[in-house]
Amino acid sequence: MELGQSLSLAALGSQLLVGLSRAMILFIVCAGLSFVLGVLRVPNIAHGALYMIGAFSAYSISTLCGDSPAGFWLALLLAPLVVALVSFIAERALFCHLYQREHLMLLLFTFALSLILGDLVKIVWGAEYRSVLAPPILRGSVPIFGSAFPRYSLFLLLIGPVVAVGLWLFVNKTRMGKISRAAAVDREMVGALGINVSWVFAAAFVIGCYLAGLGGALVAPTISITLGMDHHIIIEAFLIVTIGGLGNIWGALVGSILFGVTHSLGVLFWPQFAIVFPYATVVIVLLLRPTGLLKSVW
Amino acid sequence: MLQVEAVHKSFGDFTAVYGANLTVGKGDLVAVIGPNGAGKTTLFNLITGQLKPDKGRIVFKGEEINGLPPYEICRRGIGRSFQIVNIFPRLTVFENVQVAVLSQQRQSSNIFSPARNLAVAETNDILESVGLLDKAGNIAGSLSHGDQKILEIAIALGNKPELLILDEPTAGMSPEETAATMRLIKQLASTQGLTILFCEHDMDVVFDIAQSIMVMHHGQTLIQGKPEEVRRNKEVQEAYLGGEVDA
Amino acid sequence: MLKKFVGSLLATRYSLPTLGIIIVLLIWPLLVPRFYIYILSLIFVTALLAMSLNLTVGYGGLFQFHHGAFYGVGAYAAALVLTRTSLPVWVGYIAGPIAAAVAGLLIGWFCVRLSQLYFAMLQISLGSLIWAIVFRWYDFTGGDDGLYGIPRPSILSSTNNTYYFILLVLVACLVALYIIVKSPFGATLQAIRDNPQRCEAIGVNVRRHQLMAIVIATFFAGIAGVLFVILERSVFPDLLFWTLSLEIFIMCLLGGWFTFAGPMLGAAIIVTLRTFVGRHTEYWTLILGVILILLIFFLPEGVMGYLLRIGESANQRIGEAANQRIGESANRRISGRS
Repeated sequence: MELGQSLSLAALGSQLLVGLSRAMILFIVCAGLSFVLGVLRVPNIAHGALYMIGAFSAYSISTLCGDSPAGFWLALLLAPLVVALVSFIAERALFCHLYQREHLMLLLFTFALSLILGDLVKIVWGAEYRSVLAPPILRGSVPIFGSAFPRYSLFLLLIGPVVAVGLWLFVNKTRMGKISRAAAVDREMVGALGINVSWVFAAAFVIGCYLAGLGGALVAPTISITLGMDHHIIIEAFLIVTIGGLGNIWGALVGSILFGVTHSLGVLFWPQFAIVFPYATVVIVLLLRPTGLLKSVW
Repeated sequence: MLQVEAVHKSFGDFTAVYGANLTVGKGDLVAVIGPNGAGKTTLFNLITGQLKPDKGRIVFKGEEINGLPPYEICRRGIGRSFQIVNIFPRLTVFENVQVAVLSQQRQSSNIFSPARNLAVAETNDILESVGLLDKAGNIAGSLSHGDQKILEIAIALGNKPELLILDEPTAGMSPEETAATMRLIKQLASTQGLTILFCEHDMDVVFDIAQSIMVMHHGQTLIQGKPEEVRRNKEVQEAYLGGEVDA
Repeated sequence: MLKKFVGSLLATRYSLPTLGIIIVLLIWPLLVPRFYIYILSLIFVTALLAMSLNLTVGYGGLFQFHHGAFYGVGAYAAALVLTRTSLPVWVGYIAGPIAAAVAGLLIGWFCVRLSQLYFAMLQISLGSLIWAIVFRWYDFTGGDDGLYGIPRPSILSSTNNTYYFILLVLVACLVALYIIVKSPFGATLQAIRDNPQRCEAIGVNVRRHQLMAIVIATFFAGIAGVLFVILERSVFPDLLFWTLSLEIFIMCLLGGWFTFAGPMLGAAIIVTLRTFVGRHTEYWTLILGVILILLIFFLPEGVMGYLLRIGESANQRIGEAANQRIGESANRRISGRS
């Protein structure tokens, strides 16, 4: 892409919107990561692998439905549940026995889980590229800023805020959300109130992983689904959570937008090293505010 | 030697310390007392830099030290022990104290000389003075609670502090251990010329050995004075008798 | 100093086994086919890498989760100097550890400002950035093809000579690491691992020490990277990929990270496994993951730690109670309320 051509205002505008829509997927994934981090105090390294499973499950489900329009919606509904189930099994079978152990062991467990899940995906789905078709209503594009803007991106721009508000309501307005916040601050206290802390953690872990799966299902129509996508998302998610502020949903949102937008601008200006732009942003943010943009809410 | 002037500290909506004042003269043995939640530990954390005061001044040897990082404050001559046992559990008793002595000798960044030849005499002296020399080779995490609390003090002594702050040095100890620890503290104060600031629940102990007592209540300083003055003070009596009821 | 060190080494109860191992290693090339000489050389390189990681993880208690990145930086720095410039060979060999240490300083500077969890996350991310740049910068780094046929001096051209050279460097580095671990700095580092808050209170600038540990560790990782270049004569982006970082982490855990030599044992086990099992399967990472989970559940102190524990007399053992307290102290924060 020549620099001169690409610098038209229209291209800039549409690139910004693309960046924003990608930020929505990042946000959904990061919100899940941030939620688990907030309650369990563990950055779930397997989060990326779960996101990848979400995408591959979405592919399988929509293929089973013969690529009919309903297939996508069914995949959007079921794929995250598949991921939630996988995470539930991993949590109840293994992870829950480690809560009393040193922190490092928890962290290493999620690392091991990410490797195992990554190879399991390879065993189940193979190393080929897969793709999912968006339903007809979300295909094609609408003209915005004088350039074509994909309908699916608009759909993502709608979904992101819905998830944000939903999660915020869950954490702040429901009993379950309040218990998980309390458990994050003081496990013993919650235990003393007669609540089974282990199950609170299980629920939080599964909800966080569900969001990873949702992100994977949502991203499926926009990319070619392949091994290695777990690695890309997890490093981005870690950076976003680091600059966003621990357990802060709005921090995850701001971080995602910052990351998505700088990345899409990077694509415009220096495609080969687009990835450097969001990283540079992160470094600047950390230099100015080492503890993240927004206050940790826990 | 140490002046704390109108120091404030709040955590969110909760004000832990609201106008604390304290004076510690050279060679004094000063106690801070107050009901649970009065802000004693917070005050100590403010003095030694674990927390930063929102308002007020902390002056040590004529220098303002509020807001400095803990290691800077330590290097200026304030050592401390903690209420909850706070040692290096995987190191031996000897190493626990040696690390502090090495830090005091500015050797911590030395990567060339073998540590086992350094600061040995100083470390052993300290262990002897607190009576832990026979346990020098034990892993600190395997000591009894009482010994760990003594080790706390020994680590603090490793920095050769001019002012030693002890946060409930006898917390969780049996009456006999408490008495022995208090004798030790008194002895350290007299033989090594240390200035000691401590807080303690056992009132008999406090009124027995402290030369000056500061009373905190709801994060505020009620009074600082000699034991007799404090005993006679009306506000103090209310805080301890009346105050407990509504708290 | 060396004389004293050797003397002290001979004086310990490990002296006989150590001496035995050194003799076996010296005559090894005379006994076995070339392939096994190569494997042992690879184990040496990896062992040094694992030892360098253990300085930060085992001794420093730092969540150094992307150590492989520094290994890769060291290897690439040497490879790039050797292939892209006409500078003498030794410049390339020195460039490796220096570049790795500089990368460690830059990344570490950000990381030590954060709490442990953020430390791990940020390091994985920044390390992956280096990987991404190397992976994409075809013109300079060769992209995902890597760089091949990196020249080495004629004296190192035979398998045996390479083997002895790597062994020599490994031993020198181990002596250096041993001195560092036993120095006041090493003692302070372990104190920081056990209780950073208390360390601040005894006048130790914790962040500066941690950064120093990272720089030293990454410097040695860079040396390992250079040794890899000498051995393989090629570099590729996988050297900086996070799977490798996990592999070395597992080596430390497997061997036992509260022991000095444990990581070397772990490296030997993992490299052997990878060579003889990994060759027959596409799913090496799966095996790694399973090994790690087994370790977490059944052998958290590692093989060496386990052996030492049964070997050691009862009063030297860190009992269950001590471990309990360690866990508690790790979870403790200043509550700020009396």
